[in-house]
Amino acid sequence: MTTTIEPAEDEASVSSLISVRGLGVSYDVARTGKKLVAIEGVDLDVREGEFVTVLGPSGCGKTTFMNVIAGLVKPSAGQVLVAGEPVTGPGPDRAVVFQDYALLPWRTVFDNVKFGLEMQKGLKGDGWRDRVQEAIELVGLSGFEHSYPRELSGGMQQRVGLARAIVAEPRILLMDEPLGAVDALTREVMRAEIEKLIAATGKTVLFITHSIEEAILLGDRIVVFKSHPGAIKEVIETGLARPRSERSIQSDPRFLELRDHLWDALQGEATAAAVSK
Amino acid sequence: MSTFLASGPNLGRGGIGAWLAGLSARGKALVLAAEVVVMLVLWQLVVGVLGWINPVFFPPPSAIWQGFLELWSSGVLATNALVSLQAWLTGFAIAVAIGIPLGLLMGTSLPVDRVVGPIAWTIYATPTIAYQPLAKAWFGFGIGPVIFLVAISAVFPILLNVAAGMRTTNPSIIRAGTVFGASRFQLYRSVYLPSTVPFLFAGLRQAVVLATIGMVVAELTGSAQGMGAVIIRAANTYQTDQAFAAIALVVVWSVGMTQVVTLVERWVAPWTRKARR
Repeated sequence: MTTTIEPAEDEASVSSLISVRGLGVSYDVARTGKKLVAIEGVDLDVREGEFVTVLGPSGCGKTTFMNVIAGLVKPSAGQVLVAGEPVTGPGPDRAVVFQDYALLPWRTVFDNVKFGLEMQKGLKGDGWRDRVQEAIELVGLSGFEHSYPRELSGGMQQRVGLARAIVAEPRILLMDEPLGAVDALTREVMRAEIEKLIAATGKTVLFITHSIEEAILLGDRIVVFKSHPGAIKEVIETGLARPRSERSIQSDPRFLELRDHLWDALQGEATAAAVSK
Repeated sequence: MSTFLASGPNLGRGGIGAWLAGLSARGKALVLAAEVVVMLVLWQLVVGVLGWINPVFFPPPSAIWQGFLELWSSGVLATNALVSLQAWLTGFAIAVAIGIPLGLLMGTSLPVDRVVGPIAWTIYATPTIAYQPLAKAWFGFGIGPVIFLVAISAVFPILLNVAAGMRTTNPSIIRAGTVFGASRFQLYRSVYLPSTVPFLFAGLRQAVVLATIGMVVAELTGSAQGMGAVIIRAANTYQTDQAFAAIALVVVWSVGMTQVVTLVERWVAPWTRKARR
């Protein structure tokens, strides 16, 4: 049996927007003097405008990996370059969409979206109202500007999270299992909308997920993580045409091939993780 | 949906619990009014009409109303209520002025929390009445000891709630603020402080009740004026109707002020409104 699942070529060129070199993160475990290695020896290059999905079992360090790029976690080894500059902390060129939405409950939809602009760029001039309104319209929340987060469904709350992330027009969107907490039906609808939104805005995306289907449906490339320690197991080009609709792609032989391949890869990982515990 | 959630433990059982949970604000007020009327009528019936209890020990509502009119027309009520009001407001203002800043400081700084926390809890756990003789020794026989007891009763619920509010700020919202580049000052103003507001109002509501208890306790002995003095003088001379009238007035004040706190909260923190039953 022949397989067309080949490792993607290493894109270590100057054109990469995000460049990760020999990245390692380890924590001191309290009172034991031991070190816990979260991730180790991670190399990755992401081109401008690329949609990269990061797939792995829970506890494989994929969120830690994203946090380093976001500037929330300092690496213990190696470095991350964004547009050639080493990452030393959060910056307006990167924005994050969180799994638990992390909205401010005391702010309305409009003011939550405003928060992104307020913190990242400041509210100079009078153009900011239009920008906030535009972001709200882009995620389909017109008419809900004055609602509070608790009055909205999970899917709608995540739309607010998405609008807050794109309002200051960052080059890079970091998405940490953004659809992990919404129901299955909403997840399908939002997956398609995220794809459309990213295609329209041309953002570079790093999308963390533990869903094989999600990784294939959204990614130009899939980065598969393994655990203990967290590291990249393989990188795969999906090579699927866009836009990808959930229904038509289910019967695409390439989709099925990728799914089987990733399923085997992850099953091995999940078993290894279960045994090592 | 919200009707179901609001019915709490009655969920799925229907009946009177579901009916009560589904009432509008006006409906709830009507139920409460009906409850009060039924209680008053029963009380009047048992003591006043049937005479099952000696009205000297437990005067009926009609006698209490008479007592109130006596206190009012003799001018006793106005003089003493004003003295109490002055002591209550001054003591409460002192408690707010100390409780809020110190609570914020405790919530911000772990060293301050470790030093002030145990002292605050110890004083808070001591029954107010134990301070009463000391307060007389320290502040004499005028309004001073009353103000002291009101302040010391009210300050700790404010202080401890504000500190708890700061400390329990949702970490994922703090993370979101950090990722969007909030400065330390912006984090305090836009994340920590708003998240403490509901705790502050919970503390203020407790403080209103405890301040009123502190006030009456301080006025019961050795005070020539104040509502506590009116209650003890009336009871000592078997004018229980007047004593009950004075107690009722104090209760109306206490309940009224907690309602004022709630109204201010709805105005200052409208996002908490929809969460309550």
